Amino acid sequence: METNMQLQAPAPGVGTDRRAVVDEVDLIPVRTYWQLVRQRFMQHRLAVIALVLLAVLVILAWTIPTLTGELYQKTSLDLIDQGPSLSAPLGYDHLGENTFVRLMRATQTSLTIGFAAVLIIVGIGVTLGSIAGYVGGLVDNLLMRLVDVVLSIPSFFFIVALVAFWGGGNVWVIIFAIGLAGWTTAARLVRAEFLRLREVDFVQAARALGASPRRIVLRHMLPMALAPILVAATLGIADSVVLEAALSFLGFGISPPEASLGNMLNNAQRYFYREPILMFYPGIMLILVVLCASFLGDGLRDALDPRQRIER
Amino acid sequence: MSEAATLAAEDVTAAARPETLVTVRDLSKHFEIRGGLFGVSRIGAVRAVDGVTFDIRRGETLGLVGESGCGKTTLGKVILRLIPATKGEVLFGGKGLFEARGDDLKAIRRNMQIIFQDPYSSLNPRMTVGEIVGEGPLVHGLTNRRAREELVRELLARVGLNQSHIHRYPHEFSGGQRQRIGIARALALNPEFVVCDEPVSALDVSIQSQVLNLLDDLQEQLGLTYLFIAHNLAVVEHISDRVGVMYLGRLVELADVEELYERPRHPYTVALLSAVPEPDPRRRKRRLVLKGDVPSPANPPSGCRFHTRCWLRERLGNPETCVTQDPALADTGGEHFAACHFAGEVVAEAAELGAAGARE
Repeated sequence: METNMQLQAPAPGVGTDRRAVVDEVDLIPVRTYWQLVRQRFMQHRLAVIALVLLAVLVILAWTIPTLTGELYQKTSLDLIDQGPSLSAPLGYDHLGENTFVRLMRATQTSLTIGFAAVLIIVGIGVTLGSIAGYVGGLVDNLLMRLVDVVLSIPSFFFIVALVAFWGGGNVWVIIFAIGLAGWTTAARLVRAEFLRLREVDFVQAARALGASPRRIVLRHMLPMALAPILVAATLGIADSVVLEAALSFLGFGISPPEASLGNMLNNAQRYFYREPILMFYPGIMLILVVLCASFLGDGLRDALDPRQRIER
Repeated sequence: MSEAATLAAEDVTAAARPETLVTVRDLSKHFEIRGGLFGVSRIGAVRAVDGVTFDIRRGETLGLVGESGCGKTTLGKVILRLIPATKGEVLFGGKGLFEARGDDLKAIRRNMQIIFQDPYSSLNPRMTVGEIVGEGPLVHGLTNRRAREELVRELLARVGLNQSHIHRYPHEFSGGQRQRIGIARALALNPEFVVCDEPVSALDVSIQSQVLNLLDDLQEQLGLTYLFIAHNLAVVEHISDRVGVMYLGRLVELADVEELYERPRHPYTVALLSAVPEPDPRRRKRRLVLKGDVPSPANPPSGCRFHTRCWLRERLGNPETCVTQDPALADTGGEHFAACHFAGEVVAEAAELGAAGARE
């Protein structure tokens, strides 16, 4: 950096000598790709707010249930329908359970399902998508027809069928079912990106240099496909959380005494006339998680897009 | 021309001819148009390159010109095996490129590199200049970081870039500088043969000459052999020793640069050269404007591919051979190859039209 500073200030009158003209490049501070991404992401205010909010939710959803142990499923006849207090900021429900602690436990369950399902979605999607895009030809065609087959089955009924088959109530069964139904979009995105990248000059240059397929995929293609992958992942979190809620609401998902946003909504609906406010807590939490994930996805897409250059 | 004369001419030149580095034999690249449920049934094929044969001599610059879509870039990439060929063969230093596998292929690749047209898409935006230029040496076993960095610095200096820019990213450079990075990458493996795929077309005119001079200097210093693909005839004339002209996937003419520019023997070349702007306003030159568009390479015309637009065929009263017979690229004397049934008449007819050559 010090040498740059020296170059920045040429002696007066030197500018007329062609050789002494300061190289434009020297005036720009070195910024790595990720520094640029961060800079662009920070310009996206909603995404930053979403990221902070999501971080706060994650911290709350993991610390509170851990600190309170089994409290979230402890029923108590004395406390039924009691109003808010210091130990129960959101009051108690129809079984005398602490609603706040239960809500946090439910958020934890839902986020776990969201993140884990996305790992499966991205894992399958990236693997199959990059194979299809890199190899091309018959392999590509077979894999894409498989995608078509999976897409042709209504995904919600597919998940319901899988969960019913393997036994509901188990978090991992739900995660696996959502993942198995949801990888197609990620696979298509990655495939499309790989098909495009295969013909891009710098990939051809790497091939001309004699780089191995492994190196070409890992060093030149996957990093460039990272943007669509990350976007698919964040949006996948929102989808998975909603899917879990829908499953539990219908009684196929997580069942009480275990808490999830879906089954809290289901219970609140049954006691709607007695205590309508119970509907709002899981509902608002669901909206928050989904919105945060979507905005985060939007922000990441803009920040990672190499076409969105920061003007210097 | 009599056969005996042709043979005699070949004998004489064979002895004096410099060593051949790259041999291209009957090379074709057809992009198949597929359809059907699994995309395996063949509907047709775009004949981007169709039966091209020529040699590239060690140390020379072979220019390759032709309008957009005539297959020049595809030809360049097929010669480097970046795109698989449909038919034909390429020999590099006598060894078959398409039969090479594994380490053999890697060894050949080391000797043949490419410089791309677009200085933006040709550099990985996530890698530093050092990583980009050093990738070739790394892939070929130069794992020592310090040695690699030293080599990269040397290369950057050689192509006229500031060595302190080694840790910077491509987006921080101008088009001309990026092209220099691409040149440094191609030279990093110390290749014998470089395909320059329109290396200056995307650059500002003031930068073009700098990069051309750099390529010229590097050729002299390193004894490089170039296949120089371009559509700018002035650039090709400046840099080439010999020039090939392509039309619709075929090589239609190939000759020494002065010979080709002064006495073109293919009607397409005549038309192409008549389109070069004349800087002297006092000199008048008749522009030969071809009728119609280039036919689709998916469905090329029968016989001579140029017959649908040929001005010479019209002047000669539309002879049948042009439609029925595909003219081969033949030596018309003095290593001047042309693929025209009436190559002998081109010069005289063009002169009569007032379109002969680009200049006297």
